[in-house]
Amino acid sequence: MDAKGQPTDPAFPQIRNVIYQVSGIYQADSKLHLLADACGKRMSALKCASPREYLEVLTTKVNRESELRALLNEVTIGETFLFRSMPQITALRTIILPELMKDPIKQLTKRLRIWSAGCSTGEEPHTLAICCLEEREKLLKGWNIEIIATDLNDRSVETASAGIYGDYAMRFVSDLYKAKYFKPTPDGKRYEAREEVKQLIQFKRLNLREDAKLVFMKGMDLIYCCNVLIYFDSSSKSRVIQHYYNNLNSGGYLFLGISESLYQLNDQFRLVHFPGAFGYWKAPPGAAKT
Amino acid sequence: MSQSTAQPPSVAAHSGKHELPEAARQKISNVKAIPAMPAILMPLLDLLQKPAEQVPIDEVVRLVSCDKTIAAQCIRIAGSPLFGLSRAPETIRSAVISMGITRIKDVVLTFSLGQILPAEKFVIDPGVFWRHSLGCALVCKKFCEISGALSPERAYLAGLLHDLGIIVNCMVFPKEFAAAIEQAMRECIPLDEAERATMGFSHCETGRVLAEAWRLPDDMREVIACHHDLDMSAQSAPLVAVVHLCDLLCRIRDLGYGYYESRRIDFMHNAAWSILSATDSKIRTMDLERFTFDMDEAAAEVAILVDSVFAGKRA
Repeated sequence: MDAKGQPTDPAFPQIRNVIYQVSGIYQADSKLHLLADACGKRMSALKCASPREYLEVLTTKVNRESELRALLNEVTIGETFLFRSMPQITALRTIILPELMKDPIKQLTKRLRIWSAGCSTGEEPHTLAICCLEEREKLLKGWNIEIIATDLNDRSVETASAGIYGDYAMRFVSDLYKAKYFKPTPDGKRYEAREEVKQLIQFKRLNLREDAKLVFMKGMDLIYCCNVLIYFDSSSKSRVIQHYYNNLNSGGYLFLGISESLYQLNDQFRLVHFPGAFGYWKAPPGAAKT
Repeated sequence: MSQSTAQPPSVAAHSGKHELPEAARQKISNVKAIPAMPAILMPLLDLLQKPAEQVPIDEVVRLVSCDKTIAAQCIRIAGSPLFGLSRAPETIRSAVISMGITRIKDVVLTFSLGQILPAEKFVIDPGVFWRHSLGCALVCKKFCEISGALSPERAYLAGLLHDLGIIVNCMVFPKEFAAAIEQAMRECIPLDEAERATMGFSHCETGRVLAEAWRLPDDMREVIACHHDLDMSAQSAPLVAVVHLCDLLCRIRDLGYGYYESRRIDFMHNAAWSILSATDSKIRTMDLERFTFDMDEAAAEVAILVDSVFAGKRA
């Protein structure tokens, strides 16, 4: 380890680059120790003697694809919570919604559709629902709001529908929002989303590999797909991204996880930056340059 | 330095749409204490234009030794947790060696430019201002290292100096500038827009006056005067474009002026991107997402570095 607690073995930045090229997930230098931990677990499982040897497994051995997936599982393990990416949320409320509201077609339909693809246990769609409720008396007054939250895993969908979260998942939810949008569970140990939050969200099981079903997810204004694409190989990933593009309304946005990118996966979306976050814009034909 | 030493305005200076009103120009020239350029600045910059491995350490040590305050700062910062030494260096030479040429440049430039204006005269937090300036310098350098189109060291200098006009505004127009900042924060708009709305001119025009007074090279004058108005730039348009993009990147990724600018930026469809793409094919294939991730990393380091420089000044 160096003075900043980061691993010094030159194989780790190379492993980071392999992960980035395959999945678009980037581990910054200051996060290399997390990558080293994840590699350590996989190296023990495979009995690799050094990071260099493990890099060889990831790049030259026949089982490299399955090993890369196993490593990605370690890298992206675990934590999810409400209000996870504040810059994305702030951009939604201060920049994206005001912009969408100005669209003449949207002003006629007064309909906002958001898709949380790969919603896991529902923290993201509940966060989005709370943001929309906060704007319901202002920007979204009189609007019909639909949040569609999908996941491949039945159990995740069931947990997400229940909308019950413990302290860990709720740690970035302000006291005001806790009181306004949640009620304590009967045992007093957890929080359950109130009906008005749940009513905005439709939970469904959906396999993102089933092209025939994805075709029906049309008319979205926003798609959130965080830490999901890592589980796809390159061609399925391109296909899913193409579906997202087709399913978005003109002027809509796709957001990925905070350390994910679409680099070299799709050249139709326009990469756009917001304060502290970036997303992918389906620019309307003839959209102005900025 | 008084206005009488000013050179004739550069090519770009009078060709554009934004001019400094005569009354404002007069007011600047009437202020006796327009900041003088720090004595160490130009020799140090000349020396550090070379790649790090070609810079003679003895010469850097000699220059740093010329200014006792800066020398003391270098020793103090080299001993700070940022560099992870087990004990603080005792000589300027060991401070320079332990920090390395690249870092010593950041520290000395930030500190010597920070001396221009006392902290109490800053309308904005000086730490925030220098964090943006140094951050922009480092991002410009990194950008040019990747693209290969321009000298990374030249771009570093341009990034560092691009907002010099803010110093003039703090000193000569403190009330008006404070009102501009307040409007920018309240409406979440770019600072130059708020300056133009409240003062009728921006830090670009006032910066140009200081750049002329300091006899900065033409390309630096053009960057200072035109980084918010690309169509005003002329001979140094690619350098101005780099600073324009990197300034935007800094402001949108935690190295801005400490307030939220509510805006969406499409870098690859920005006029500055088009200017650079026309001359540099590497720009067209640049991985901007990855560059942004790396920048966030740099932002954290810049914050620590600038905070440690200013912690010393306050002590």
